[in-house]
Amino acid sequence: MAETTNTAYPQVLFANRKPDRIATIDDYRKNGGYEAIQKVVSTLSHKDVQKIILDSNLLGRGGAAFPAGLKLQTVADDAPFPRYIVCNADEMEPGTFKDRVLLHADPHLLIEGMLIEAYSAKAEKGIIFIRPEYENAARILEREVAIAEKAGFLGKNILGGDFSFTIDVHRSGGRYICGEVTAQLNALMGKRPNPKQPPPYPTEKGLWDLPTVLQNVETLCCMPPIIRNGAEWFRNLALTESGAGTKLYGISGRVNKPGCYELPMGVRLSEIIEKHAGGMPEGSEFKACLPGGASTRYLSRAHYDMPMDFETLKAAGHRLGTAAIMVFDQKTCMVAATLNLMAFFARESCGWCTPCREGTPYIRDLLWRIENGRGEPEFVDILKKQCKYLWNAYCAFAPGAVSPVEGLLADFEDEVWAHIHQKTCPFKASD
Amino acid sequence: MPKLIIDNREITVPEGTKVIEAAERLGIMIPRFCYHPALGSVGACRVCAVKCLEGPRKGIQMSCMIDAQDGMKVSTTDAEAVDFRKHVIEWLMLHHPHDCPVCDEGGHCLLQDLTVSGGQGVRRYQGPKRTHTDQHLGPLVAHEMNRCIQCYRCVRYYQEFTGYEDLGVMQIGSRVYYGRFRPGTLESPFSGNLIDICPTGVYTDKPSRYRGRRWDFERRPAVCLHCSLGCHVTVSARYREVVRQEARFSESVNGHFICDRGRYGFPYVNLPERPRSARVDGTETGWEAALKIAGERLESAAWKTGPQGIAVVGSARCGLETQGMLKRLADAKGWRGPVFDIDPAAANVRTAVSRLDSDLRVSLREIETADCIVVVSADPLNESPMLAPALRQARRNGARVAVIDPRPASLPFQFDHFPVAPDDLAAAMAILIRKCADKEPLSELGKTAVRSLRGVSDGADIPDADGLAALYDDLHDSRRPVIVCGTHTAPPEIPGMAADLALLLRIAGPRAGLFYVMPGPNSFGAALLSDPALSFGDLVSSIEEGETKALVVAESDLFGSGIDWDRLQNALNKLELLVTLDYIDSQTTRAARILIPTLTAYETPSLSINNEGRVQQSPAAFRGGDPIARTGGGEHPPRAFRRDIPGREMGAAWTALPTLGGRNPGSAPVNLTAWLGDAHPALTSLPESSDFPPDGVRLPLAENAGERFQTDRFSHGEKEEDALTLLVADSTFGTEELSSLSPILKELTPSPCIQIHPEDAAEFDLSTGDAVRIDTGAGTAVLPVQTTDRIARRVLVIPRHRDLDDRLPRERRTVLSKTAIRKATEDA
Amino acid sequence: MLSQQIQASKHPPELVVDVMMAVQEHYGYLSDEALEEAAAMVGMAPTKLDELATFYTFLYREPVGRYVIHLCDSVICWMDGYEPLRDHLCKKLGIQMGETTPDGLFTLLPVCCIGYCDRSPAMLINKKAYGPLTSEKIDEILETLRSEAAETTPS
Ligand SMILES: Cc1cc2nc3c(=O)[nH]c(=O)nc-3n(C[C@H](O)[C@H](O)[C@H](O)COP(=O)(O)O)c2cc1C
Ligand code: SF4
Ligand code: SF4
Ligand code: SF4
Ligand code: FES
Ligand code: FES
Repeated sequence: MAETTNTAYPQVLFANRKPDRIATIDDYRKNGGYEAIQKVVSTLSHKDVQKIILDSNLLGRGGAAFPAGLKLQTVADDAPFPRYIVCNADEMEPGTFKDRVLLHADPHLLIEGMLIEAYSAKAEKGIIFIRPEYENAARILEREVAIAEKAGFLGKNILGGDFSFTIDVHRSGGRYICGEVTAQLNALMGKRPNPKQPPPYPTEKGLWDLPTVLQNVETLCCMPPIIRNGAEWFRNLALTESGAGTKLYGISGRVNKPGCYELPMGVRLSEIIEKHAGGMPEGSEFKACLPGGASTRYLSRAHYDMPMDFETLKAAGHRLGTAAIMVFDQKTCMVAATLNLMAFFARESCGWCTPCREGTPYIRDLLWRIENGRGEPEFVDILKKQCKYLWNAYCAFAPGAVSPVEGLLADFEDEVWAHIHQKTCPFKASD
Repeated sequence: MPKLIIDNREITVPEGTKVIEAAERLGIMIPRFCYHPALGSVGACRVCAVKCLEGPRKGIQMSCMIDAQDGMKVSTTDAEAVDFRKHVIEWLMLHHPHDCPVCDEGGHCLLQDLTVSGGQGVRRYQGPKRTHTDQHLGPLVAHEMNRCIQCYRCVRYYQEFTGYEDLGVMQIGSRVYYGRFRPGTLESPFSGNLIDICPTGVYTDKPSRYRGRRWDFERRPAVCLHCSLGCHVTVSARYREVVRQEARFSESVNGHFICDRGRYGFPYVNLPERPRSARVDGTETGWEAALKIAGERLESAAWKTGPQGIAVVGSARCGLETQGMLKRLADAKGWRGPVFDIDPAAANVRTAVSRLDSDLRVSLREIETADCIVVVSADPLNESPMLAPALRQARRNGARVAVIDPRPASLPFQFDHFPVAPDDLAAAMAILIRKCADKEPLSELGKTAVRSLRGVSDGADIPDADGLAALYDDLHDSRRPVIVCGTHTAPPEIPGMAADLALLLRIAGPRAGLFYVMPGPNSFGAALLSDPALSFGDLVSSIEEGETKALVVAESDLFGSGIDWDRLQNALNKLELLVTLDYIDSQTTRAARILIPTLTAYETPSLSINNEGRVQQSPAAFRGGDPIARTGGGEHPPRAFRRDIPGREMGAAWTALPTLGGRNPGSAPVNLTAWLGDAHPALTSLPESSDFPPDGVRLPLAENAGERFQTDRFSHGEKEEDALTLLVADSTFGTEELSSLSPILKELTPSPCIQIHPEDAAEFDLSTGDAVRIDTGAGTAVLPVQTTDRIARRVLVIPRHRDLDDRLPRERRTVLSKTAIRKATEDA
Repeated sequence: MLSQQIQASKHPPELVVDVMMAVQEHYGYLSDEALEEAAAMVGMAPTKLDELATFYTFLYREPVGRYVIHLCDSVICWMDGYEPLRDHLCKKLGIQMGETTPDGLFTLLPVCCIGYCDRSPAMLINKKAYGPLTSEKIDEILETLRSEAAETTPS
């Protein structure tokens, strides 16, 4: 693995990103935009496209890191029509804002990504599911979709072939669970957005019981460059053997330059913080970070040099999630931070299954008591049990919800005990 | 067939069986809240967790969500699984009000049971409890949301199973709330099942509130007597009153649920006006003494007029024993009757009974598996409510459901309605039959039959004939079509044609089934046992002509027959003797010279035959007697001590009847089944009451009995262009005799109205909300108009209603001239 | 516009959230009557709509002010000063979280991370994002909105 000292990493997804400016269709085309779909339509079969995506080792960027090519392959050859592509632009995972930045930077990249996905799944209808907080982005998308349609990239018989595809923008009513695939499909059908355990899988029976391929914004945006430059090129973008491509790292919290940076997959955490995010502010020292949104486990000081890619983190018992890095310094109380995260999960639990619906507020209550000096020694064991058993919930929400608590109990148990023994929050006390 | 091991015991189960079900077969009841056999698995509550030790999955799994698979080794007692389940219960109890002592579910609460058995006894959570505001849901169901454990059973039952959408789940996370958009009476006529299906005390039985605990009740199985389906119920009695009813599972009849008419129809048993002491010439007399007097007077009447001057009348609500005994009595004494023909539909029922071959008939549950259903001349929701959810399950499984009926049928699912006028119903059926005869090789029927079938008029001049023709194609292409045929309002040809169609389909390929809906709980028995030569109308005439001088009426209100009340009253006045045996207060009991109170089916064992010829048995739920609320005079506990049960001198009608025939009091034959066999050969082989199977026994019915393919019975009558047909229809609440006495259901009974097609209404300058004055032939009524385009043209529908009984015609179908209706103006 | 879309849709329920949003836009919030109107438009039972309306964050079943301030209380904003900003807003508007100013102009609600963590602390007013916030910036924003309201409301 090459130590990277030069900062000029290739900008693939952000190739057209300009400060405070949305790339127009012309900007996009100037840099090779819509060439990929041209190539696809004129020279590739839908199986070819699947193969390239599979070979590129593109893993889903929405958090679950499922291979995008494999997902495409689960659409059976004889599956019924019409088929749907859903772009997951819900992005409600706290700390995550990469999709927003990407949508504002280069909307046509997403449109072309959806086109490629649609071509390979033989889908004719695309829906972008977007959170209501991103009203601005939703309008941009609607506008640019219309422009793309005028330019002949969307609609009937695209580029003269027999491939037709349209895109609608669907605004959510706003709830974290809507980001989960099956819940999102329920939401799109006007049902309560509770998840629905497979089988059947969405690629078999999704929207209106028809095959539906759902993918994150960033995942889809990776597709045009992959098609243009090939699978191998994409894999080689990563710094690690297991990784592939670049990654949008959103960094926030105790850093000087919070923001979204496109860096090769596998870049080290220390580098991201120090080099790209401008280091930590005066007087702040790295204590911990959440590597990929609220539903991941804290990385502590020991992981400061960790290469940030899916596989490496997984091997260390962690998750890269959405690569939304939230940095905490030594002045932050980890109990209080975890309490805040738990309050989020308790508020957003969809209410379908018992462990999550009742367990998240229970954990929140215990953490609140500990943080406010009312902790009791038994609480620690109760917390551990709760965390363990929330893994038996109905969907991936609950295991995500307990990840920070597990991290807290694993890496910062002393801090928890200090709260209990001192009957107050040590950080407040020292203020 | 996967083979697996659960708790070290091996079992083989059919493919697709869930582990929770497989365990149940071994007698292992894995805890469950959200799983329900009628609603399936959704994996919400997580209390059914088990540990998979070996096999395709490992670790903690939800037993309701995983299919039994080969090589699985499952432990329900594994320490981790037990501990996890205990945690699930702790979660569910975090916010629970712990109000078991005052909760109406206390004592039969699944949450209570699992909490205790799961060993979750200590409260650890210190946070505040969430609370909810309750809603008023109408007279039947009380709402107490704080007790909810969010298992989603109620909404899944209410919306998915029965297809109503006025109860739902609101909010998110730990605040989820089950209720209505606005407080108000639940719209579903199956709402009472919420009480049974909710595993805790959120929905409780409102009418029985504060009347006792589960363990205070005498609880017995029974069969519902409020329509012909004969659903299974469990009765709870206390202090000599029936207090509540619940649905009881039946594999073949109703499944897990019942309708609200059936659940809340029982109060006739408890009513203060119920006759409880015998009367002779207006004077209270001992029960047996009164019987003896009645026997003597009948004997002397027979001396005077000969046995033919006496007639016996029963009804479709009499138990099979009473019906049989009436026949036995009439036969033995040479009296006329029995007439069960109080309902004019009885002739249709006789046709139905004669055509219901054993291999054609299907049970209510089997309807759920049909893939194409044609309902003709029936209005399921209003006539036999539980038929509607059965049809809905078929629909949910992809069946096509079509209703050919003039009434504005509504059903809680998507169906095709052919609003065919009563006069055209036979033509509509003819389209289906003709098409079958034209298309299919029916050689086994013989040439003549085929020729005559092909000669059936094609009925092409009725509205939407093409739609009906297309319906035939669907019938033919289905695997399991079912013809559902009503008898209440059907023209006389229809029940036979329905059977013809089913039979033809069967010959043509698909395994067709036939299902009749009948007017009363024991219409089937009445049809088997009645004297076909004597109708009630004839009987009234013979009274008027002085031929019949004495009448024995058992459990039948003659005034419900629709015969003009003045005429009937005059006829009864002419009688020398009217002996009425009944357990409800009616005009007929009031008109009786001798009144013999009888026990209800709740107080004495009773048999009845449902619409598919299934003989079912209800044991006595309690022993009868005056309710303690009355004998105690408000004192609690009552202070008068005696050995006998006050008010329990009376017996069942059938035990009284032999005395009327001059036998010794109480000399009813001992061996029930033997003498029922005398009454009708089909009843010969009924099991002893102790051996009666839970789902009863289906009578062996002669194969292909009755008159088949009588195509000539259908002819295109001339239509009177200007005439209107008045249909006196049933409605879910307020029509059926016994349940319409229920104070509980009063609030749900719609007020009388008349329904008409808007275009027909326009002709009379009427629109919804106007009042119309109608001369029905039996009387004049002023009714509010409801227009609906789902009704057949030139048809008026009046749902039968107690308030109108004196003014509605006896016939369910009456042809009226246009002058019979006009707008009622202010001055009217 | 929407009614055309409903007409054209093979599955009108897919538009139910849009319809509720539009009706809410029109009436300010989803009263029972507004909800029934929306239900009639999509041909669904009011209960089915209420099941959704009470689920989603941005559908309001109770009256709200003309400007709905959603102040982010998730972890980054919390770390960057959510609490003092909340106190400032409450004081400035004279209301508690969850309340509406007596003049009907502002409703103050907490919200989960709005995806502007790079500009924390952040808030959303009528779906427009603001951040990074300071007390001074908040005062400015409130002032601007007040005068905007004064201009567009005939007094
Ligand atoms: C509770 C929950 C919330 C989620 N939210 C999002 C989200 O906002 N955006 C997203 O792309 N994926 C989200 N996911 C992941 C999706 O379920 C899914 O894996 C992903 O969208 C698939 O696309 P990808 O393979 O391109 O990542 C969420 C998952 C869970 C369990
Ligand atoms: S874990 Fe259960 S309650 Fe939580 S979001 Fe998933 S389904 Fe809903
Ligand atoms: S009300 Fe009863 S049935 Fe409905 S979710 Fe709650 S506990 Fe379950
Ligand atoms: S459907 Fe008929 S038999 Fe069944 S519960 Fe209702 S009234 Fe009783
Ligand atoms: S019974 Fe299996 S999860 Fe509820
Ligand atoms: S935490 Fe406030 S915007 Fe993300």
